[in-house]
Amino acid sequence: MVYLVAAAQQDDLARVREKKPELWRHVRRYNKPVQLALAAADEVMRFANDPATAAVISLAPCQPGSADLYSWGHVVTSGMASGTLGNLRMNPTQTLHAVDNLAMSAFAIAHRNHAYCLGLGGAAGQAWCGIEAVLERLLSGLEEEALLMAGDQDAAEHDSRGLGVALLFSTRAKPFQPSNRIVRLVSVSRSPAIVDVVPHAANGLTALLSSIANGVVSYFVPPAHTDGFSTVTITLEIS
Amino acid sequence: MSDKRRVVITGMGALSALGASTRELWEGLLANRSGVRQVQRLVASGITVTTGGEVDAVSPENVERDHEIANRAIDDALAESKRDVAACGFIWSTGLDTFQMGVDGFVHRSAGRCFSNLASRFPGPRRMIAAACASGTQAVGEAFRLIQNDRVEACVAGGSSVMLTPFYLIGFAGLQAVAVDNGDDPSLACRPFDKKRKGFALADGAGAMVLETLESARERDATVLAEVVGFGVSQDAFDLNRPCDDGAGAELCMRRALADAELMVEQIDAVNAHATATYSGDLAEAAALRKLFANRWQDVPVSGSKGAIGHAMAAAGVLEAIVAAQTCATGIVPPTVNLHDVDDGCELDHVIGEPRDVNAETVLSVSFGMGGQNAAVILKRGLNG
Repeated sequence: MVYLVAAAQQDDLARVREKKPELWRHVRRYNKPVQLALAAADEVMRFANDPATAAVISLAPCQPGSADLYSWGHVVTSGMASGTLGNLRMNPTQTLHAVDNLAMSAFAIAHRNHAYCLGLGGAAGQAWCGIEAVLERLLSGLEEEALLMAGDQDAAEHDSRGLGVALLFSTRAKPFQPSNRIVRLVSVSRSPAIVDVVPHAANGLTALLSSIANGVVSYFVPPAHTDGFSTVTITLEIS
Repeated sequence: MSDKRRVVITGMGALSALGASTRELWEGLLANRSGVRQVQRLVASGITVTTGGEVDAVSPENVERDHEIANRAIDDALAESKRDVAACGFIWSTGLDTFQMGVDGFVHRSAGRCFSNLASRFPGPRRMIAAACASGTQAVGEAFRLIQNDRVEACVAGGSSVMLTPFYLIGFAGLQAVAVDNGDDPSLACRPFDKKRKGFALADGAGAMVLETLESARERDATVLAEVVGFGVSQDAFDLNRPCDDGAGAELCMRRALADAELMVEQIDAVNAHATATYSGDLAEAAALRKLFANRWQDVPVSGSKGAIGHAMAAAGVLEAIVAAQTCATGIVPPTVNLHDVDDGCELDHVIGEPRDVNAETVLSVSFGMGGQNAAVILKRGLNG
């Protein structure tokens, strides 16, 4: 059996900076999606039995990078056109903004986690692959807990709204935080369908969490949150 | 004996600096030849890093180069396997977003969108792997696991990268990971485990494998190129830019792959190493392999491919797994191109100068990603039919 035991969402980095200075010191050099994913993960790992041994499944942002990185990209490409790249140096912090597995690495370092890890890339609908992977790992008895986290932003070229989300799953039944009810993840099912999508690593998972709060047990993923090639249904048992 | 489904490789495709086929990749390695060279369009830009592993088969002017390179490797693998995409999953890494100068100005190509385009012809599962330099190996391992656990009958697995752009060359130079030009022969840019190593040569590339159940391969009368028998991953949890000195995270993923394969370390005949030619990466990898093999470390041949083809990031692991599969099939371990003078601390049973025929049947292929994600797969000689 696999249970959802905690979830958290985060969209306010100013609040993270103010309320969690230690966490902020750890995440401040990263780009917004990574900061938000790590802040959400920090919330849910308070409910983990052992953060060091949980499987970590992390979704890369569909809108990766940062405004700084994009503006640097323009400098490079225009410098290339004019043949003036010789002395240009890149700030290593901005290089990190391009890295797609950064949240997973930063989480592992913070929690001394050497366990199974799966980074899923910034394609539409990978969140549901993440939930399938949680089921595969926990049902096969390989780990007792699994973290699924994601962070994304509406646009990377300029400062925009960002959203981080983290879900903690366990093989042990525990009341889901914050609802205090037992939420069992039963299955993820798919059937073929071609639909239009709006790629975003975090929006789909927050919509799922909203439906759980409303007591929904068969969650039909909105087409815009899928990978564009299948409909997805998440089946839950809430008691 | 495990009752898990057996998983075999029935098709492979590779585009690398050594050519646009698995044959050219293998023959180039056996000839101890490097495909890394000076890239003229980079020289024209005035950049300080102009060497790389370029894929000639698709024009750099083609703004859909990311898609084209990947599709050619996928099509070649499917053609060799003689399998269509029905009942096929797609486990792939398209690496990082690409930023380059196109004919009409700045072009940003989304790796996620590229993945979705490639994935559209596969019924699923469709998973995009993001584990930096370990992505290609993890893609093969995850596909193996999905098939082994009866989630799907077959998968195309692998990765593709278009990295030879000023954006990434300058970025990786800032991290002191790539070999900056210093007047040397460009083909010597990447020297794994060598005293003169100074980082890797960035490369474009793609590698694809068709994995399927042994049962399915037998039913189709397909040629079995190798069997995948084990897979392990780990995280260093140490530092974003470098591995821990003793290679503990790397060793852990290799031990997990061995346990998964239900093999003893004594049953590994050869290693295809990650071998990036970075100072700390090679030291940590050598330390990990010495610990893994204990008193056998001087007797297990080790070879790395990046001296010949550069570092193709998301494609690197699968290109190296393809080389490992060729070793399983032939028993021959290719040399580590550009390794001449083994550095202190990098001592292993390196294959230097020419290939070594050791009748290797079981090969460990490893990748260690920037950020600390590690992946290992174990391949075994396939018995056809």
